Amino acid sequence: MLPNARIEFLGGCRDMAPVLVGTVPFGFVAGVAAIGAGMSPLEGIALSFVAFSGIAQLVVAQLVAAKSPAIVTLAAVFVVSLRFLMYSAALSPHLAHLPRRWRVPLSYLMTDQGFAMGARHYALPGDRSLRHYRMLGSGLTLFCTWQAAVIAGALLGAQVPAAWSLDFVVTLSFLAILVPAVRTRADIAAAVVAGAASLAAAGLPYKLSLVVASLAGIAAGVAVEGRHRR
Amino acid sequence: MSDWLVILGAGAVTFLTRASFIVFADPHRFPHGFRVALAFVPPAVLAAIVLPGFAMPEGTLALSLGNHRLLAGVAAAAVAMRVKNPLGAIGAGMAALWGLQALFP
Repeated sequence: MLPNARIEFLGGCRDMAPVLVGTVPFGFVAGVAAIGAGMSPLEGIALSFVAFSGIAQLVVAQLVAAKSPAIVTLAAVFVVSLRFLMYSAALSPHLAHLPRRWRVPLSYLMTDQGFAMGARHYALPGDRSLRHYRMLGSGLTLFCTWQAAVIAGALLGAQVPAAWSLDFVVTLSFLAILVPAVRTRADIAAAVVAGAASLAAAGLPYKLSLVVASLAGIAAGVAVEGRHRR
Repeated sequence: MSDWLVILGAGAVTFLTRASFIVFADPHRFPHGFRVALAFVPPAVLAAIVLPGFAMPEGTLALSLGNHRLLAGVAAAAVAMRVKNPLGAIGAGMAALWGLQALFP
Protein backbone atom coordinates (compact mmCIF):
# COMPACT_ATOMS: atom_id res chain seq x y z
CA MET A 1 0.00 0.00 0.00
CA LEU A 2 1.27 3.50 -0.77
CA PRO A 3 2.15 5.47 2.38
CA ASN A 4 -0.59 8.02 1.68
CA ALA A 5 -3.08 5.24 1.07
CA ARG A 6 -2.17 3.73 4.40
CA ILE A 7 -2.72 7.09 6.12
CA GLU A 8 -6.17 7.35 4.55
CA PHE A 9 -7.01 3.74 5.46
CA LEU A 10 -6.00 4.17 9.11
CA GLY A 11 -7.79 7.51 9.22
CA GLY A 12 -10.95 5.74 8.11
CA CYS A 13 -10.51 3.12 10.85
CA ARG A 14 -10.16 5.90 13.42
CA ASP A 15 -13.18 7.84 12.09
CA MET A 16 -15.39 4.83 12.78
CA ALA A 17 -14.20 4.32 16.36
CA PRO A 18 -16.83 6.48 18.14
CA VAL A 19 -19.65 4.70 16.30
CA LEU A 20 -18.52 1.26 17.46
CA VAL A 21 -19.80 1.71 21.01
CA GLY A 22 -23.33 1.58 19.54
CA THR A 23 -22.42 -1.16 17.05
CA VAL A 24 -21.47 -3.72 19.68
CA PRO A 25 -24.80 -3.91 21.57
CA PHE A 26 -26.76 -3.58 18.31
CA GLY A 27 -24.86 -6.49 16.72
CA PHE A 28 -25.27 -8.51 19.88
CA VAL A 29 -29.03 -7.92 19.78
CA ALA A 30 -29.14 -8.95 16.11
CA GLY A 31 -27.33 -12.20 17.00
CA VAL A 32 -29.70 -12.87 19.90
CA ALA A 33 -32.73 -12.13 17.70
CA ALA A 34 -31.69 -14.72 15.09
CA ILE A 35 -31.47 -17.43 17.75
CA GLY A 36 -34.72 -16.24 19.33
CA ALA A 37 -36.41 -16.67 15.94
CA GLY A 38 -35.43 -20.33 15.91
CA MET A 39 -32.43 -20.09 13.58
CA SER A 40 -29.28 -22.04 14.41
CA PRO A 41 -26.15 -20.06 15.41
CA LEU A 42 -24.64 -20.98 12.03
CA GLU A 43 -27.69 -19.62 10.19
CA GLY A 44 -27.72 -16.42 12.26
CA ILE A 45 -24.03 -15.79 11.62
CA ALA A 46 -24.33 -16.67 7.91
CA LEU A 47 -27.22 -14.21 7.61
CA SER A 48 -25.03 -11.53 9.17
CA PHE A 49 -22.16 -12.17 6.74
CA VAL A 50 -24.29 -12.19 3.61
CA ALA A 51 -26.61 -9.30 4.55
CA PHE A 52 -24.38 -7.16 6.84
CA SER A 53 -27.35 -4.98 7.74
CA GLY A 54 -28.71 -4.83 11.25
CA ILE A 55 -32.23 -3.87 10.34
CA ALA A 56 -32.42 -6.44 7.52
CA GLN A 57 -31.21 -9.12 9.95
CA LEU A 58 -33.81 -8.11 12.53
CA VAL A 59 -36.58 -8.09 9.93
CA VAL A 60 -35.56 -11.57 8.76
CA ALA A 61 -35.50 -12.79 12.37
CA GLN A 62 -38.96 -11.37 13.10
CA LEU A 63 -40.50 -12.81 9.96
CA VAL A 64 -38.81 -16.21 10.25
CA ALA A 65 -40.14 -16.35 13.82
CA ALA A 66 -43.64 -15.53 12.46
CA LYS A 67 -43.23 -18.30 9.84
CA SER A 68 -43.84 -15.85 7.00
CA PRO A 69 -43.50 -16.99 3.39
CA ALA A 70 -39.99 -16.37 1.99
CA ILE A 71 -41.27 -13.93 -0.61
CA VAL A 72 -42.93 -11.74 2.05
CA THR A 73 -39.74 -11.74 4.11
CA LEU A 74 -37.64 -10.73 1.11
CA ALA A 75 -40.11 -7.97 0.19
CA ALA A 76 -39.74 -6.55 3.71
CA VAL A 77 -35.94 -6.76 3.41
CA PHE A 78 -36.19 -4.87 0.12
CA VAL A 79 -38.20 -2.07 1.73
CA VAL A 80 -35.77 -1.59 4.60
CA SER A 81 -32.94 -1.68 2.01
CA LEU A 82 -34.51 1.07 -0.13
CA ARG A 83 -32.38 3.61 1.67
CA PHE A 84 -29.31 1.85 0.24
CA LEU A 85 -30.54 2.85 -3.24
CA MET A 86 -30.41 6.47 -2.16
CA TYR A 87 -27.00 6.10 -0.50
CA SER A 88 -25.69 4.29 -3.58
CA ALA A 89 -26.94 7.06 -5.86
CA ALA A 90 -25.38 9.73 -3.65
CA LEU A 91 -21.95 8.07 -3.45
CA SER A 92 -21.70 6.77 -7.02
CA PRO A 93 -20.34 10.00 -8.58
CA HIS A 94 -17.40 9.86 -6.15
CA LEU A 95 -16.66 6.21 -6.89
CA ALA A 96 -17.40 6.11 -10.63
CA HIS A 97 -13.69 6.38 -11.58
CA LEU A 98 -12.76 3.25 -9.60
CA PRO A 99 -12.45 -0.22 -11.13
CA ARG A 100 -15.08 -2.81 -10.33
CA ARG A 101 -12.83 -4.64 -7.86
CA TRP A 102 -13.14 -1.52 -5.67
CA ARG A 103 -16.78 -0.68 -6.32
CA VAL A 104 -18.10 -4.16 -5.47
CA PRO A 105 -16.49 -4.43 -2.00
CA LEU A 106 -17.23 -0.79 -1.15
CA SER A 107 -20.89 -1.43 -2.05
CA TYR A 108 -20.98 -4.53 0.12
CA LEU A 109 -19.49 -2.60 3.05
CA MET A 110 -21.88 0.35 2.79
CA THR A 111 -24.08 0.93 5.83
CA ASP A 112 -25.98 3.87 7.31
CA GLN A 113 -22.91 4.90 9.29
CA GLY A 114 -20.57 4.12 6.39
CA PHE A 115 -22.61 6.29 4.07
CA ALA A 116 -22.74 9.20 6.50
CA MET A 117 -18.98 8.94 6.93
CA GLY A 118 -18.28 8.50 3.22
CA ALA A 119 -20.34 11.57 2.36
CA ARG A 120 -18.32 13.50 4.96
CA HIS A 121 -14.98 12.16 3.64
CA TYR A 122 -15.71 13.33 0.13
CA ALA A 123 -16.77 16.74 1.40
CA LEU A 124 -13.36 17.24 3.08
CA PRO A 125 -10.97 19.57 1.27
CA GLY A 126 -7.68 18.34 -0.20
CA ASP A 127 -6.67 15.44 -2.41
CA ARG A 128 -9.60 13.09 -2.99
CA SER A 129 -7.78 10.54 -5.14
CA LEU A 130 -7.18 8.11 -2.25
CA ARG A 131 -10.41 8.69 -0.32
CA HIS A 132 -11.62 5.19 -1.24
CA TYR A 133 -8.95 3.81 1.08
CA ARG A 134 -10.57 5.84 3.81
CA MET A 135 -13.98 4.32 3.03
CA LEU A 136 -12.41 0.86 2.99
CA GLY A 137 -10.83 1.49 6.40
CA SER A 138 -14.04 2.72 8.02
CA GLY A 139 -16.11 0.00 6.33
CA LEU A 140 -13.83 -2.86 7.38
CA THR A 141 -13.62 -1.55 10.94
CA LEU A 142 -17.39 -1.55 11.22
CA PHE A 143 -17.66 -4.94 9.48
CA CYS A 144 -15.24 -6.73 11.83
CA THR A 145 -16.78 -5.20 14.95
CA TRP A 146 -20.30 -5.97 13.76
CA GLN A 147 -19.58 -9.61 12.93
CA ALA A 148 -17.78 -10.19 16.25
CA ALA A 149 -20.78 -8.73 18.11
CA VAL A 150 -23.30 -10.83 16.12
CA ILE A 151 -21.28 -14.01 16.74
CA ALA A 152 -21.14 -13.22 20.47
CA GLY A 153 -24.91 -12.61 20.49
CA ALA A 154 -25.66 -15.80 18.55
CA LEU A 155 -23.50 -17.92 20.85
CA LEU A 156 -24.11 -16.36 24.30
CA GLY A 157 -27.34 -14.46 23.74
CA ALA A 158 -29.61 -16.47 25.96
CA GLN A 159 -27.60 -15.48 29.05
CA VAL A 160 -28.32 -11.74 28.89
CA PRO A 161 -31.14 -10.73 31.27
CA ALA A 162 -34.15 -9.20 29.53
CA ALA A 163 -34.16 -6.48 32.21
CA TRP A 164 -31.15 -4.85 30.54
CA SER A 165 -33.47 -3.92 27.63
CA LEU A 166 -30.53 -4.16 25.22
CA ASP A 167 -32.93 -4.36 22.29
CA PHE A 168 -33.71 -0.66 22.85
CA VAL A 169 -30.22 0.13 21.50
CA VAL A 170 -31.52 -0.84 18.06
CA THR A 171 -34.32 1.73 18.10
CA LEU A 172 -31.95 4.37 19.47
CA SER A 173 -29.33 3.63 16.79
CA PHE A 174 -31.89 4.35 14.09
CA LEU A 175 -33.10 7.46 15.91
CA ALA A 176 -29.49 8.72 15.89
CA ILE A 177 -29.44 8.36 12.07
CA LEU A 178 -32.98 9.66 11.59
CA VAL A 179 -32.57 13.00 13.39
CA PRO A 180 -29.70 14.36 11.24
CA ALA A 181 -31.45 13.04 8.09
CA VAL A 182 -34.41 15.39 8.75
CA ARG A 183 -33.39 18.84 7.52
CA THR A 184 -36.08 20.41 5.35
CA ARG A 185 -39.81 20.88 5.83
CA ALA A 186 -40.39 18.11 3.28
CA ASP A 187 -38.14 15.76 5.30
CA ILE A 188 -40.23 16.53 8.40
CA ALA A 189 -43.42 15.73 6.47
CA ALA A 190 -41.95 12.42 5.27
CA ALA A 191 -40.85 11.42 8.78
CA VAL A 192 -44.07 12.50 10.53
CA VAL A 193 -46.40 10.83 8.02
CA ALA A 194 -44.32 7.63 7.93
CA GLY A 195 -44.13 7.53 11.74
CA ALA A 196 -47.89 8.09 12.18
CA ALA A 197 -48.72 5.57 9.45
CA SER A 198 -46.45 2.95 11.03
CA LEU A 199 -48.52 3.22 14.24
CA ALA A 200 -51.87 3.31 12.43
CA ALA A 201 -51.01 0.32 10.22
CA ALA A 202 -49.37 -1.74 12.96
CA GLY A 203 -52.16 -4.33 12.82
CA LEU A 204 -51.24 -5.45 9.29
CA PRO A 205 -49.69 -8.91 9.04
CA TYR A 206 -46.04 -9.65 8.13
CA LYS A 207 -44.75 -6.21 9.14
CA LEU A 208 -46.47 -4.78 6.06
CA SER A 209 -46.95 -1.63 8.15
CA LEU A 210 -43.29 -0.83 7.45
CA VAL A 211 -43.87 -0.99 3.69
CA VAL A 212 -47.11 0.99 3.79
CA ALA A 213 -45.73 3.63 6.18
CA SER A 214 -42.50 4.11 4.22
CA LEU A 215 -44.36 4.64 0.95
CA ALA A 216 -46.81 7.05 2.63
CA GLY A 217 -43.90 9.02 4.08
CA ILE A 218 -42.07 9.21 0.74
CA ALA A 219 -45.28 10.40 -0.95
CA ALA A 220 -45.76 13.08 1.72
CA GLY A 221 -42.19 14.31 1.28
CA VAL A 222 -42.59 14.51 -2.50
CA ALA A 223 -45.94 16.34 -2.13
CA VAL A 224 -44.55 18.98 0.28
CA GLU A 225 -41.44 19.47 -1.87
CA GLY A 226 -43.62 19.93 -4.96
CA ARG A 227 -45.87 22.52 -3.32
CA HIS A 228 -42.87 24.38 -1.92
CA ARG A 229 -41.33 24.76 -5.34
CA ARG A 230 -44.38 26.24 -7.02
CA MET B 1 -34.05 -25.35 3.93
CA SER B 2 -36.34 -22.40 3.43
CA ASP B 3 -34.36 -20.53 6.12
CA TRP B 4 -31.26 -20.81 3.93
CA LEU B 5 -33.24 -19.59 0.94
CA VAL B 6 -34.27 -16.50 2.94
CA ILE B 7 -30.69 -15.96 4.15
CA LEU B 8 -29.24 -16.04 0.63
CA GLY B 9 -32.15 -13.96 -0.68
CA ALA B 10 -31.59 -11.33 2.02
CA GLY B 11 -27.91 -11.20 1.02
CA ALA B 12 -28.84 -10.71 -2.63
CA VAL B 13 -31.39 -7.98 -1.89
CA THR B 14 -29.11 -6.00 0.42
CA PHE B 15 -26.12 -6.28 -1.94
CA LEU B 16 -28.08 -5.36 -5.07
CA THR B 17 -29.64 -2.27 -3.48
CA ARG B 18 -26.23 -1.14 -2.21
CA ALA B 19 -24.49 -1.82 -5.51
CA SER B 20 -27.37 -0.46 -7.62
CA PHE B 21 -25.84 2.86 -8.63
CA ILE B 22 -22.25 2.37 -7.52
CA VAL B 23 -21.72 -0.74 -9.66
CA PHE B 24 -24.54 -1.06 -12.16
CA ALA B 25 -26.27 2.18 -13.07
CA ASP B 26 -25.72 5.84 -13.71
CA PRO B 27 -27.93 7.89 -11.39
CA HIS B 28 -28.09 10.72 -13.91
CA ARG B 29 -29.99 8.50 -16.32
CA PHE B 30 -32.96 8.15 -13.97
CA PRO B 31 -36.00 10.43 -14.15
CA HIS B 32 -35.96 13.49 -11.92
CA GLY B 33 -39.05 12.37 -10.00
CA PHE B 34 -37.36 9.12 -9.02
CA ARG B 35 -34.38 10.96 -7.57
CA VAL B 36 -36.64 13.38 -5.68
CA ALA B 37 -38.51 10.42 -4.16
CA LEU B 38 -35.25 8.66 -3.20
CA ALA B 39 -34.23 11.65 -1.11
CA PHE B 40 -37.16 10.99 1.23
CA VAL B 41 -36.40 7.31 1.73
CA PRO B 42 -34.14 7.75 4.79
CA PRO B 43 -36.47 10.02 6.83
CA ALA B 44 -39.55 7.93 5.92
CA VAL B 45 -38.13 4.42 6.42
CA LEU B 46 -36.18 5.32 9.56
CA ALA B 47 -39.21 7.03 11.13
CA ALA B 48 -41.36 3.98 10.31
CA ILE B 49 -38.80 1.79 12.12
CA VAL B 50 -38.24 4.09 15.10
CA LEU B 51 -41.75 5.25 16.06
CA PRO B 52 -43.24 1.82 16.85
CA GLY B 53 -40.17 1.07 18.99
CA PHE B 54 -41.04 4.06 21.18
CA ALA B 55 -44.83 4.23 21.02
CA MET B 56 -45.77 0.53 21.00
CA PRO B 57 -43.05 -1.42 22.81
CA GLU B 58 -45.46 -4.25 23.66
CA GLY B 59 -47.11 -4.28 20.24
CA THR B 60 -50.03 -2.00 21.13
CA LEU B 61 -50.13 1.78 21.16
CA ALA B 62 -49.03 3.13 24.58
CA LEU B 63 -49.01 6.95 24.57
CA SER B 64 -48.75 7.43 28.33
CA LEU B 65 -46.24 8.46 30.98
CA GLY B 66 -46.13 4.82 32.05
CA ASN B 67 -44.38 3.95 28.77
CA HIS B 68 -40.72 4.23 29.72
CA ARG B 69 -39.49 3.70 26.17
CA LEU B 70 -41.55 6.62 24.91
CA LEU B 71 -40.11 8.99 27.53
CA ALA B 72 -36.58 7.68 26.97
CA GLY B 73 -37.07 8.10 23.21
CA VAL B 74 -38.11 11.74 23.61
CA ALA B 75 -35.03 12.37 25.76
CA ALA B 76 -32.79 10.67 23.20
CA ALA B 77 -34.34 12.69 20.34
CA ALA B 78 -33.71 15.93 22.24
CA VAL B 79 -30.06 14.94 22.68
CA ALA B 80 -29.73 13.84 19.03
CA MET B 81 -30.78 17.33 17.88
CA ARG B 82 -27.92 18.92 19.81
CA VAL B 83 -25.17 16.30 19.85
CA LYS B 84 -23.76 15.14 16.52
CA ASN B 85 -22.12 11.96 17.81
CA PRO B 86 -24.68 9.11 17.67
CA LEU B 87 -23.39 7.90 21.02
CA GLY B 88 -25.00 10.90 22.70
CA ALA B 89 -28.51 9.82 21.74
CA ILE B 90 -27.89 6.12 22.41
CA GLY B 91 -26.29 6.82 25.80
CA ALA B 92 -28.99 9.31 26.84
CA GLY B 93 -31.79 6.97 25.75
CA MET B 94 -30.40 3.93 27.56
CA ALA B 95 -29.61 5.97 30.69
CA ALA B 96 -33.15 7.39 30.70
CA LEU B 97 -34.69 3.94 30.21
CA TRP B 98 -32.62 2.32 32.94
CA GLY B 99 -33.31 5.26 35.27
CA LEU B 100 -37.08 5.08 34.69
CA GLN B 101 -37.08 1.31 35.11
CA ALA B 102 -35.23 1.65 38.41
CA LEU B 103 -37.45 4.46 39.74
CA PHE B 104 -40.85 3.21 38.49
CA PRO B 105 -40.63 -0.56 38.13
